[in-house]
Amino acid sequence: MDWLFLDAAFTGGSRDECSAKAGGACWAVIGERLNLFTYGFYPAAERWRVNLSFVLLIFTLIPILFEKVPYRKYALHIAVAFPFVTAWLLVGGLGLTPVETDQFGGFMLTLVIGITGIGFSLPIGILLALGRQSRLRAIQIFSIGFIEFIRGVPLITLLFVASTMLNYFLPPGVTFDLLLRVLIMVTLFASAYMAEVIRGGLQAIPKGQFEAADSMGLHYWSAMRLIVLPQAMKISIPGIVNTFIGLYKDTTLVIIIGLLDPLGIGRASLADTRWTGLSTEVYLFVAIFFFISCFGMARYSQHLENKLETEHKR
Amino acid sequence: MTQKPEPMNEETKSAAENYAVIMRDVHKWYGKFHVLKNINLNVGVGEKIVVCGPSGSGKSTLIRCINRLEEHQQGEIIVEGIELSHDIKNIESIRREVGMVFQHFNLFPHLTVLENCTLAPIWVRKMPLAEANAVAMKYLERVKIPEQANKYPGQLSGGQQQRVAIARSLCMKPRILLFDEPTSALDPEMIKEVLDVMIQLASEGITMICVTHEMGFARTVGDRVIFMDNGEIIEENNPDDFFLNPQHERTKLFLSQILDH
Amino acid sequence: MGNTVVLHKGGGKNLILSLNSRRFVLLKKIAGMRATKFLAIIAVLFSFTVVAGAGTLEDVKARGKLNCIISSGLAGFASPDGKGGWQGFDVDFCRAVAAAVLGSGDKVNFVPSTNRTRFAQLNAGEGDILFRNTTETLSRDADLKLTFLPINYYDGQGFLVPRDLGVTSATQLAGASVCVQVGTTTELNLADYFRFNKMDYEHLNTGTNAESIIMYESKRCNVYTTDASALASTRAALKKPSDHVILPEIISKEPLGGAVRHGDDRWADIGKWVVNALIIAEEMGITQKNVKELAKKPGNNPSMNRFLGTEGSMGEMLGLDKDWAVNAVSAVGNYGEIFERHLGFNTPLALPRGLNASWKSGGLLYAAPIR
Repeated sequence: MDWLFLDAAFTGGSRDECSAKAGGACWAVIGERLNLFTYGFYPAAERWRVNLSFVLLIFTLIPILFEKVPYRKYALHIAVAFPFVTAWLLVGGLGLTPVETDQFGGFMLTLVIGITGIGFSLPIGILLALGRQSRLRAIQIFSIGFIEFIRGVPLITLLFVASTMLNYFLPPGVTFDLLLRVLIMVTLFASAYMAEVIRGGLQAIPKGQFEAADSMGLHYWSAMRLIVLPQAMKISIPGIVNTFIGLYKDTTLVIIIGLLDPLGIGRASLADTRWTGLSTEVYLFVAIFFFISCFGMARYSQHLENKLETEHKR
Repeated sequence: MTQKPEPMNEETKSAAENYAVIMRDVHKWYGKFHVLKNINLNVGVGEKIVVCGPSGSGKSTLIRCINRLEEHQQGEIIVEGIELSHDIKNIESIRREVGMVFQHFNLFPHLTVLENCTLAPIWVRKMPLAEANAVAMKYLERVKIPEQANKYPGQLSGGQQQRVAIARSLCMKPRILLFDEPTSALDPEMIKEVLDVMIQLASEGITMICVTHEMGFARTVGDRVIFMDNGEIIEENNPDDFFLNPQHERTKLFLSQILDH
Repeated sequence: MGNTVVLHKGGGKNLILSLNSRRFVLLKKIAGMRATKFLAIIAVLFSFTVVAGAGTLEDVKARGKLNCIISSGLAGFASPDGKGGWQGFDVDFCRAVAAAVLGSGDKVNFVPSTNRTRFAQLNAGEGDILFRNTTETLSRDADLKLTFLPINYYDGQGFLVPRDLGVTSATQLAGASVCVQVGTTTELNLADYFRFNKMDYEHLNTGTNAESIIMYESKRCNVYTTDASALASTRAALKKPSDHVILPEIISKEPLGGAVRHGDDRWADIGKWVVNALIIAEEMGITQKNVKELAKKPGNNPSMNRFLGTEGSMGEMLGLDKDWAVNAVSAVGNYGEIFERHLGFNTPLALPRGLNASWKSGGLLYAAPIR
């Protein structure tokens, strides 16, 4: 504790200046690099776009996550535009200065990858889970093949393929944005796991539910959407959130392909000769960030489980 | 095994107008097990049929063939003038007209009682929400549990749940109601409340086909009782004659078993 | 292997299809055993690999930026500063090449890479040039299809010991307990060195550099051995760096240099001569400060004039402007300045020039002349 706060130095230009001031932690390294940790190499003049995106994110998440929000229905409709607006804000074009995605980094990169992965893996996972149970042989084989292939390969390999192998396929001169490739791979990876989690939920739904839905004349998709999936998803919440958290933490693997997430920024910062040796401070800082995000997700999932608990409320 | 359905002949067409359900030479197999053997059954519009028989005799399968929860492999089934085929549109339009009440209720646990009742009218009949709610409340009153409308199924007793299930079927305003052993999963003290609702319904002219062993019910409302064993219809008769004067040995044996205790 | 088929020529760009199964070997190491099967499939899929060839210079000029592969964080060689830029010894070589080709040391996209991905990234065309403290070896040169630039840092295995051990030479290390990373050439070199000098030692195997530091700090071992540049950064990260010394002996060869893809000789020449130019600049006393002045007032030293572009057509031969070398030096300074800025005694690494001194001062830096 003393080391963390009382004896800690919060300002200074290097480790030596820190240790000259106090014997505890040297938080000046975080202070000096907060922008780096937050925005990566995003051009300083354009950082307002990242900030704005973050504000938009919060305004999008609130109505999605919580029920008792005024005008929720309209807010949810507007939320559909969020990915597009944010993508435009972050990447630029159409009046904004373009920013290369290899300049993304830090927390912002984690959020971009994590949220894209989470947002897209859920619907894709649902489709794969349904596909795996489909009576249409072709769809079933495709789903099983896809899921087993992705699960059989480490994420790091997929990322590596994304970063280098794809370039061999494409003719020189044709470039396919690295971050986009990573997003696709991360999403596909999470989708495969998601599909299996949801399949577990689907299998836990009694046959009678399907029969009741059928006997009412509901279409397949209506029955799935209104009856089967809500229940299957509820059962799967712990698994889904588990997958989300796993995906979120897996974003740190992007360092293997040269994208610098907070952990990568941290490591790279330790290579700065002025700050070398401060690994405890840097890693602690990054750990706190991940802990807050992941713990938040876990808490929300518990909240959701309690809210959806209708089974034994007698 | 599936036979190409033959085009409906004139006789069938005219018959279809008088009958709610026509089953002709229906066969069904589960793998090698011959579960329905040469079933011929005509159910008149507004008729109440009670189907009974020992367990495994195929009686549930029989009624589940009527709304295609089970597929038959031979013969023809015509429901409300529509022949059951592989056409999903056909099947869905038949299911809209045929309500079903299950042994285990099969209510949707994540929806309130009211939502259970309004789901199909809204999504299948495209009924506006307010109207669907009004219809649902009307039927919940009919089954005497309007006060439970905003609870979840898990908060209700078995008898209440089954009554909700009946109301849910009624909300689609079906022309035919199928009951698949509606009281056999209930505690004895709850059977009566469900039967009362069913008896009341019967007086309203809807076509009903009930798989049940409730003899009192059969005698009160049944126009005809059908006894099945081993996938065959062994005997059919009016309830009084069926219970007092069974013709077939197997019927006698069955009746003695269920009436003796 | 290595059959090269020129598919199509045009626009200064060739598509070279080369049958390449060796990349697979690299990948296998990368992804670990679990992925072996998958990689076998990939290797088949990718056995025809397409590499951009012969047009790197044109590509870079068209892009207006040099894509330079660097480390994603290595003390003294590459690290991000607080403002979103990169600093370091390797980083400055990138800037020098950018300045020589494009006229400005700022026209660089830095592509951070890890040990594992660097060559694949280079070969996949994600970078035009690689400066990532990479040891030149035969297999990398021939097998991984790299062309190495002149060596810009002579590294080698050294020993770190606590000052209070009272040791001044590695020959006094008999009976020491030595921390060494398992499965590295370092471990083999260590064994060779002690056997050759007929000394006993006890070795403690560690998995990573970080683990070694913990062992060393907790005095489980009293000597830590790895490459000297890494020893320097390790030492700087210790609680009290001045309590530890790096012994003068270097027991192995680790020549570090930049690299480019096989098959584009003109581009390789540019990389090669930029490195040479920085070394020569130090020999000639050309510095970041005086280079512009010197270029304005050409004297009568012909070799200096050729360097400054005021005489001859050296830049033209490389496909560059005549003031290519001037631009490189004015962007980052000469070799000595780069070294002192990032590795020298004024930095926490405090590495001596040692082998990396000019041949005139007893070091190994000996660049071919510009003429």
